[in-house]
Amino acid sequence: MTKIHFYGDELAGYTRKRPLPGRLIVLEGTDGVGRSTQIALLREWIESKGYAVQSTGLKRSVLAGKGIKEAMRGHTLGILTTNLFYATDMVDRLEKIILPALRAGFVVLTDRYIYSIIARAMVRGVDPGWIRDVFGFALVPDAVFYLHADLPHLIPRVLNARGFDYWESGMDFLPHRDYYEAFVEYQSRLLAQFEIMAEEYDFCRIDATLSIREVFQNLKAEMEDLLVGMRPISPAEAERELAEAQAEQQAKRSR
Amino acid sequence: MAQLPDGRALPGKLFIVEGIDGSGKSTQLDLLRKWLIGLGYCVAFSEWNSSAVVKATTKKGKKKQMLTSTSFSLIHAADLADRLERQVLPALKAGAIVLADRYVYTAFARDVARGVSPAWVRKLYAFAVKPTVAFYFRVPLEESLRRILDGRPTLKYYEAGLDVGLSEDPYESFALFQGRILEEYEKMVDEFGLTVIDGTRRLVEQQEIVRQIIQPQLKGVLRAEPSAWREVLAAESVYGRYLEEVLPERNEP
Repeated sequence: MTKIHFYGDELAGYTRKRPLPGRLIVLEGTDGVGRSTQIALLREWIESKGYAVQSTGLKRSVLAGKGIKEAMRGHTLGILTTNLFYATDMVDRLEKIILPALRAGFVVLTDRYIYSIIARAMVRGVDPGWIRDVFGFALVPDAVFYLHADLPHLIPRVLNARGFDYWESGMDFLPHRDYYEAFVEYQSRLLAQFEIMAEEYDFCRIDATLSIREVFQNLKAEMEDLLVGMRPISPAEAERELAEAQAEQQAKRSR
Repeated sequence: MAQLPDGRALPGKLFIVEGIDGSGKSTQLDLLRKWLIGLGYCVAFSEWNSSAVVKATTKKGKKKQMLTSTSFSLIHAADLADRLERQVLPALKAGAIVLADRYVYTAFARDVARGVSPAWVRKLYAFAVKPTVAFYFRVPLEESLRRILDGRPTLKYYEAGLDVGLSEDPYESFALFQGRILEEYEKMVDEFGLTVIDGTRRLVEQQEIVRQIIQPQLKGVLRAEPSAWREVLAAESVYGRYLEEVLPERNEP
């Protein structure tokens, strides 16, 4: 059961009366650390155990996902705007996807959560109190797995995958005009920030320098305990419960 | 002066207008703008909900009725953040006058009327510059409703506050929603030291009062370079709204 617990002021209009029998599980970590690969593997593994899985991640909201991507492509977002845009995306997914799925008894796997957004904001000099206030509406997850790898491990992975990206290299605020130098500087600062946040937010550390298989096995071992007491659910039943929870959410809004 | 959230003063001046729909605030700001431009000041203007990068998302959310009270609040904060970062702060740092049609107080009134926590929405907007003068155009609810509803306009879903669930009827919902917003505005007069203008007085009288209040703030404010076309604007009291499209930069001396 996900404890109904928010980081700050409770989400407006939220009703505590309904329990959340699902689990909210976060995978966090810097760019290129292998989060999406592990989520794909975990999803299949959890489903094979008979549970329903909902997967989500940053910029995937119907409301704001496209707007953020377009603005980022044009490199036109200031730091405050970026954070508030991401907060909009987050709350839309929290209200429309995450909470209904938890209510319907799903395991929700999320590729990053508020921590990456906060870390990025912190290295860009945003007021630490303010950014935490803004994300006060976020539900506290059941577990946060922090996949961490040092830069010598990250760089080849990023190069093999898609190369250095403007935002992932901090080009929007660092003085470097060179992508490699900027990437190294930016990711080092992010890693340092995650280290600070690990304690504050009770991250479970997972060594991501190991092989994909080893990381997966370690994640599975950690996750077993989280799934104890969950009720297996057939895909058809899961669909029905989710549709019901979403309809309820919808009805609450236009009551 | 306008002030950064940390208390540092900016050389420019930020004047903002607030009030419920139909309070006449936009008309007054328009008159003020013409007057200031006529006097030769450098004036930037920013309107609520008009950020080029955020607006499309807000529009989609409203059209498809996807917004909840919290996402409504956040997307409007993103909109103001973008305008602050891009328009308002640079202008204030340069020492210009910035006029804003609606500001954070609109969010404090509307979002709270929609059910978000008053404390949270105030924290959310902690990034906003403190205005030099915040005008609040006070009109009785009946008067503003008469001004807006007399033509029986089509009210949009969120505009009418239909998402709040006060009534199924758009006109009744609008009236109840505006009433709630008005209550929030009234609470803020003391909390934020809003400058109250009686919006039931004649337009010219209101404008006279606004100008008197602003006049002492204008010392040392950045003036626009005098130019031939600005003289025309001043003499003929038109904006020059479309001049930027037709006049190449070099025509500015």
